[in-house]
Amino acid sequence: MLATVLAEVAPFVRPHIDWHAVAPELTLLAVGAILTLIDIVWLERGRKLTSSLAGFGLLLPLIPIVTLAVSDSDTRVMFDGAYVIDDYSLVLKAMFLLTGYVVVLLSTNYIGEGDYWENEYYGLLVSSILGMVVMASSRDLISIFVALELLSIPAYMLATWRKRDVRSNEAGLKYYLMGVFASAIMLYGMSLVYGVAGSTLLTEINAALSEGGSSEAVVTLGIVFVVVGFAFKVSAFPFHTWSPDTYEGAPTPVTAFLAVGSKAAGFVALMSLVVVGFLGRDDVFGPLFWVLAAGSMTFGNVMALRQKNIIRLMAYSGVAQAGFMLAPLAVAGTGGTSADTSISAILTYLLIYAAMNLGAFAVIISVARKTETAELESYNGLFTTAPVLAVFMTLFLASLAGIPPLGGWFAKFSVFTALTNADTGAGYALAVVAAINAVVAFGYYGRLALRMWVEEPYLGDKAPIKVPVALGFALVLTAVITVAFGVYPPVATHFTDVTLVAGV
Amino acid sequence: MEAIVFFVSAAIILAGGLGVIVLRNPVHAALSLVATLFGVAVLFIDMEAYFLAAVQVIVYAGAIVVLFLFVIMLVGVDKAEDIYAEPIIKQRQFAALAAAGMLILVALVGVAFAGDVTGQPSNEDMTISRAIENPDGTTTPAETSNINQLAEALFTDYVFAFEITALLLTIAVVGAVVLARRPKGDLQPLPDVEPSWALRKPRAVTPTEATDPSAGDDADQDPDETTVDQAATDGAETDEAKA
Repeated sequence: MLATVLAEVAPFVRPHIDWHAVAPELTLLAVGAILTLIDIVWLERGRKLTSSLAGFGLLLPLIPIVTLAVSDSDTRVMFDGAYVIDDYSLVLKAMFLLTGYVVVLLSTNYIGEGDYWENEYYGLLVSSILGMVVMASSRDLISIFVALELLSIPAYMLATWRKRDVRSNEAGLKYYLMGVFASAIMLYGMSLVYGVAGSTLLTEINAALSEGGSSEAVVTLGIVFVVVGFAFKVSAFPFHTWSPDTYEGAPTPVTAFLAVGSKAAGFVALMSLVVVGFLGRDDVFGPLFWVLAAGSMTFGNVMALRQKNIIRLMAYSGVAQAGFMLAPLAVAGTGGTSADTSISAILTYLLIYAAMNLGAFAVIISVARKTETAELESYNGLFTTAPVLAVFMTLFLASLAGIPPLGGWFAKFSVFTALTNADTGAGYALAVVAAINAVVAFGYYGRLALRMWVEEPYLGDKAPIKVPVALGFALVLTAVITVAFGVYPPVATHFTDVTLVAGV
Repeated sequence: MEAIVFFVSAAIILAGGLGVIVLRNPVHAALSLVATLFGVAVLFIDMEAYFLAAVQVIVYAGAIVVLFLFVIMLVGVDKAEDIYAEPIIKQRQFAALAAAGMLILVALVGVAFAGDVTGQPSNEDMTISRAIENPDGTTTPAETSNINQLAEALFTDYVFAFEITALLLTIAVVGAVVLARRPKGDLQPLPDVEPSWALRKPRAVTPTEATDPSAGDDADQDPDETTVDQAATDGAETDEAKA
């Protein structure tokens, strides 16, 4: 019976899988599995090794990424164009892996000293990064959605890792509910887009949407809902409400991870969707991104001015920075080279933002190890108690504010270039809004720096702060990248000067 | 044959539907919902929509009813008397009205489209999921059937997303276990922060309540656990409340 049924079925043709191209993902998958299973074999004995294993495990996939980057065939396409390995995706994969490595460095002492489940922590962290790595190559609605869930679901659980702390539970729950809500909205948008285009491939969606003739309302609604779903992910105004509470309650290394990795992944999805999928519908996404960018920059900065807690300050500053990164997308569809310039600008911003923000969080974690608080007052007189940390923090803050010759300056510069390059009224107007906001941002970054250098030490406690090796290494690594990208920008542009290949 | 299957499964569906509204115990009501959904699945098979039938059983009878039961168990099964409370005034009358209206609507639709209903599967031209015997003795393979097409898509174009989804489920299980697992050793005292939301202190159990079986959740708690938690947390929220 079964044999006859099988005989009638057309022979199954194996899909073409380029094993070299998926080697980074497979390596990462193996690392995650080993990290999760090692606890069963070694029980308590493996504890000390876990974080180093996770760190090196995250660096391991860089090997296939480098071999892919230097290999002859430029672009590798799989599954009819649903999964594309090009320079754009390779740069992003490397960025996500390095971000993960720095987060492991930040976590080593924090997770080791607290009463946390270590193996599962690193296992979930690695799988979340795997989701980001997959996201970088996805050019298909289904791959993008699955990648988004793979990177979000471990993050929801990591946010509530301090199980005995009510605020951490609140953080995780809020993040989860908001994230699921955003996913639902986005899925609805995707289903509308699929309904119009009749395909989940972004290239075919672009062809169908540009062609016209389809119902305007459905296209508009679909694009708006998809973008709004990712606006939650990148915590853009007015969809940022979860971020300050989640950042405050989550374990601080996880906060750093959310603020950098998760946000970057949201931008990657937005870039792929807009440039490959929706580029023909500039009339829909242009104004949408304009409003999101201007609103995020302005609102994030105004709220950050009023914060008394460093984590909440970083959360709102993150909202403002997200506004800067959204800005080039507003002019991405204006024709000419504007799409490529916008992608390069966002990519540059993402690389530099990852370095300087992770660095700032490394200082925050180091300081909180002694003061055990996140109040801004605890930074008073940091220069007297921990001069090196104070110098590092000032460096990162200055970079976040965009002072030359640090990386943040070049990041903002490339955004302005992309905005003015479009040569449209909307682009110039957004550049003016961005410029005003860049100045406002000095207010809170500068005030924090001033606290460290001028004020008396917090609670009169002049005991020095000991920085563990892992944290110290993270600090040096991020500081070197921040300075190098600013002093000699070609280092950054060498990697970020890519075109987003549509595949097939 | 088709008619017999139809009438039997229709009877199961109606009986299940009646059970949902008539049975007093919420768990029994949920279980009779399973009967209804199962009957619908049988109807799908009858109409040769095998994939829909499988999805009907897996998603509705499996996942959704389990969710219902989960919520019922969390809320408490011994609250049969709550059924008599009407959250919306006159909701029974409204429900009767709505049901009558729905019946009339269905009847109207039935009358309006009476000529169009043939009872035949509608996808004649799309081939049904078994091989068709042609008049000249050859058979057309069922390569374009629903399930085959679905399987083909899942394991070729979408195989990557499919595998990633498998990984995602594994990770969700690992994370859920970690989050739900009790920490090793004795319960540590919770921090002295009073949350402004949600978590309530355990209600003091008065002797009358303790003897009254219908007093609610607090009386059902394991007495040992309550005392341990009370001692450890100094009257703060219990671990159950947190979890």
